[in-house]
Amino acid sequence: METYDAVVIGAGNGGLTASATLARKGLNVLLLERHNIPGGAATSFCRGRFEFEVALHQLSGIGTNEKPGPLRMLLDKIGVMDKLEFVPMDDLYRVVVPGEVDITLKPDRNQIVKELQLLFPKEKEGIEKFFDLVWKVFSEVIGVFYFKDPEVSREKYPHFFQYVLKNLQEVFDQCFTDPVLKTIVSPYWTYMGLPPSSLAFVDMAAMLFVYTEFLPYHVKGGSQALSNALADTVLSNGGTIRFNCGVKKIIVENDKIKGVVTENGDEVKTRFVISNASKISTYIDLMEPEHVPQKISDELKQSTLGQSAFTLYLGLNCPPEKVGLNASTNFLIGDTDPDRIYERMQQREIGEEDGMLLTCYDLIDNSFSPKGCSQIALVTLKYGDCWLSVPPEEYAKEKFRVADSMLSAAEKIHPGIRDHIEEMEIATPLTHMRYLGHPKGSIYGFDSYLRNSMFFISNRSDIKGLYNTGGWYGSSGFQPTLESGVKAAKALIREFSAQQEGVK
Amino acid sequence: MKKEMIEQIDGYGDIIREIDVSRKFGSAFKDEKGKVKDYISHLHPSRIQMRVLDIIDETGSTRTFRLVPEDAPLPPFIAGQYITVFVETGGIRTARPYSISSAPNQRGYYEITIRRVPEGLVSGFFLEKVKTGDVIQTSGPQGFFYYNPVIHEKKVICIAGGSGITPFMSMIREVVECGLDKEIRLIYGNRSVDDIIFHRELTRISEQFDNISYIPVLEIPPEDYSGKQGFITGDIIREVTGNTLDKTFFLCGPPAMYDFCLPELEKLSIPRKRLKKEMYGAPENIWEYPGWPEGLSQDETFSVIVNNGKPFKARAGEPLIKALEKNGVLIPSLCRSGECSMCRVKITAGKVFQPPGVPVRTSDKVFGYVHACVSFPVTDMNIHI
Repeated sequence: METYDAVVIGAGNGGLTASATLARKGLNVLLLERHNIPGGAATSFCRGRFEFEVALHQLSGIGTNEKPGPLRMLLDKIGVMDKLEFVPMDDLYRVVVPGEVDITLKPDRNQIVKELQLLFPKEKEGIEKFFDLVWKVFSEVIGVFYFKDPEVSREKYPHFFQYVLKNLQEVFDQCFTDPVLKTIVSPYWTYMGLPPSSLAFVDMAAMLFVYTEFLPYHVKGGSQALSNALADTVLSNGGTIRFNCGVKKIIVENDKIKGVVTENGDEVKTRFVISNASKISTYIDLMEPEHVPQKISDELKQSTLGQSAFTLYLGLNCPPEKVGLNASTNFLIGDTDPDRIYERMQQREIGEEDGMLLTCYDLIDNSFSPKGCSQIALVTLKYGDCWLSVPPEEYAKEKFRVADSMLSAAEKIHPGIRDHIEEMEIATPLTHMRYLGHPKGSIYGFDSYLRNSMFFISNRSDIKGLYNTGGWYGSSGFQPTLESGVKAAKALIREFSAQQEGVK
Repeated sequence: MKKEMIEQIDGYGDIIREIDVSRKFGSAFKDEKGKVKDYISHLHPSRIQMRVLDIIDETGSTRTFRLVPEDAPLPPFIAGQYITVFVETGGIRTARPYSISSAPNQRGYYEITIRRVPEGLVSGFFLEKVKTGDVIQTSGPQGFFYYNPVIHEKKVICIAGGSGITPFMSMIREVVECGLDKEIRLIYGNRSVDDIIFHRELTRISEQFDNISYIPVLEIPPEDYSGKQGFITGDIIREVTGNTLDKTFFLCGPPAMYDFCLPELEKLSIPRKRLKKEMYGAPENIWEYPGWPEGLSQDETFSVIVNNGKPFKARAGEPLIKALEKNGVLIPSLCRSGECSMCRVKITAGKVFQPPGVPVRTSDKVFGYVHACVSFPVTDMNIHI
C-alpha cells in the first residue's frame, strides 16, 4: 500500500498552495485531482484559436514591488512569482446603469471620492463618511487579524467593534440616499453573492480597500498559469500529483485520519489529509455518517448553498473598442434595487433588468487573444435549482435560449457583439457542478452570511489529521482560497512536527 | 481573536439567535450524498456500457453499429457530437472517437458508422470482430462540432469527405425528422460511387425535403455520371452556396480534404466565424508538414522513459499516445485529435513535433505539457504522467 505524509484532495487554489507549502517543507505529499488539469475554477480552456479564462476577473492582494500586497508575498514565499507575469488593471471598474450613469472608477480613494462628490453634490458628506469608514474599519481588521494584536479592545479598535457585524445596507443608510450612488459603490457585492441588505459591511470594505490599495490584477496566461506554476512547484519539490484521479473515501478511525481510497479503488495510507473538496463533499460524500463530527453537522445546518453562475465566453473577431469596450471590468446593471436583482438569481431568465459582469482582458494584455481579436466573459450569478429542474432532453436548447437573451441584454449597452462572435461557449450552473463537483454548481460555496463568517465558525474539523481549504471553509475568491491553503498546510506542519518530535 | 472579545462586538447576540434558529430549521445536507455525481451522470456519464443491437452494412468497407445502453438511459447529445469507444485488441488498450450518425431525437440508441482504415487497429477490430450482442464501453457524448443557434446562420453548407459524413448525417436526420427551420446543403466528396456512405438515404431525403440538398462530388466518376467531379473546389462551393454572406460552413473530413478545401474557402473570403471545422485525428503524414526536422525519417525510433520507468521505443511518424498504449502505459483520451486535452502529459526531457494549430493552453506550453495524441517524438525523451 502506498504511504504519504499527507494527501491533498483537489487541486483547486487552496489544494495547490497547500501542496506546494507541504512539498517545500519536505513532506512527502500526494495531490489527487479528478480533472486532467490543475486549478479547479482557476483554469482555462481552448476553443478554436481562443483560450478562455474560466473564473478569474480581478486578482486582489498583489500590489506592486514597492508596496507588495499579501498575495504577492505569499506567492513569492512559495516560489512562483518569477514564473508568472502580473498585469495591473488601470481601472477599478466601470458601472453602467442605462439611462442613469456610465462611470469608470480608478483604483484611487481620493479620486473616487472627488468624482462621486462631483456627481452627487447633495451626498458630499455621506460619500466622505462612507469611504472613511471603509478604510477605518478595514485598517482595524488588519490590526486585529493580520497583525494578530494580542490586546484587542473596544478602546483600541472602536470602528471594528461598532461595524464589523453590520450589514452593508445599515452603513449605506447612515451615509447615502441616492440608489444610483449606492449602485456605483457596491457592484462588488456580486463577488460575494449577497446583496447589501445581507452582505457584511466588512466584506465590502475588504474588497474596496484591497482592490484600491493593491490594485486589481490580471495574470498573463490566465489563472491557469498560476495553477500550473503552483503545480510545478509541487512537482519540483518532490511532491506527487495524480490527475484524472478522484477520491472516493476518506478513511477515519477513532476520529483520526487513516488514509483515503481513490476512485480506482486504491487505498493510500496517510495520517494527514487536506481537503479542497466542498464541505458537503468532504463530510457527506467521502465520509461515513458516523464519522462526521457533531460540530460539522451543526455548521452545515446553519449554512445555505450560494449561487452558481451563467457565463458566456465569447471570442470576438475584432478589437474590444469596436464594440464600445474601453474598460476591462464592466458591471452592467439594469436595476438600482439590488434586492430585486438578487431575487431574480433564482430564475433562469436573463434580461436587461439583471446585473452582469463583463470582463475583457484584451484592453490590458494584448497577448490575451489572437491578433486583432478579443474575448469577453459575460457572467451573471444564478442559483443552481432553476437549472437542475430542466429535463436533460431540453438542456441544450434551454442553454442556447438563455444565452441568446443574455446576449441581447448586453447588446443594449454594447451593440454589435453578436456580429463579431467567432467562438462561443456557455457555462450554466450544471457546467460548474460538473467541473467543480459542487452541489448545485455553487461557485462561492455557502451563502456568505455573517453567521457563517470566521467570527462564528472556526476552521477546526474535530477529526485529528483533517484540514480544510477553499471557498467552502471561509471566504471564497482567489486571494482568500490561495491563502487558506497555506494556512491549512502550516497547521498540518505544526502537528506533523509535533508528532515527529514525539516519536523521537 | 478571543471568544470573549468577539462576544463584545455590536450585534453579536442577534447573530447568535440567528444561528440558533437556522440550526433548528436547517439541513445537514445528508440527502445531498451522491447527488452531484448522479445528476451529472444523466448528462455527462464518463463511461457507458453499450450492447451492439444491430450491425448495418453501408458500403464494402463501412458498417453502422447500433448501440443500446446496458443500464441507464442514454444522455442526450447535440447533432455533430461524438462518442469515444474504449477497446482492447491485439493486446493493446486504446480508444477512438466516432461521431454519432443517428439523430439526437432518437433516444433509444446511438449509431456510429465506421469505415475501415488501412492497417486501422480499431476500425479493423470493429469490422472483423464485433458481433451483434457484444458489449463495448464508450464515453458520453463529447465535442464542440455542432450548430449554435445563437451565432450560426440558419442556412448551412456542410462539406464532408469520406467518413466525415457521419456528424452531418445526424444533423440532416434531425432537421427532417423534427421539422427544424434550417436549410442544409451538403457537398460530399468521395473517391468513387461505391465509397459513398448513406447515398440512398441522402438522395431520398434531398428529393423529399426542399430544405436539404445533396451534392456528391466524385474523384473517379462512373461513365454515365453527370454530377460534380474531382475535388471539392472553390468553384463547386461557390456554385452550391450562391450568396456566401448568409451561410455558415461546417467541414468534416480527413486532413487532406482540409488542406485542399480551406484555401479554396479562403478564396471565397469566408470569415472564421462562419466556418466550423471538426477535428479528424492526427495527421497521417506528419513528416510532410512544414517544420518537421530535416532529414528525419518517419521510421526513426526514439527512446521514451515514463515516470523514470523502463525505456521503450517510439516511432517518429506515429503519435506518442500510440507508443504509450503499445507499451501498456494507459493515459486517458477522448478526441485523439488534440482538442479535449485529456491526454495532456509533461515532457521533462526531449522534444516532440506538434502540427500547427493544436489548441494547447499558453501556460501548458510554458510548463512543457503537450497533448500526446498529436505529439510526435523527434528526440529521446522523458515523460511525466
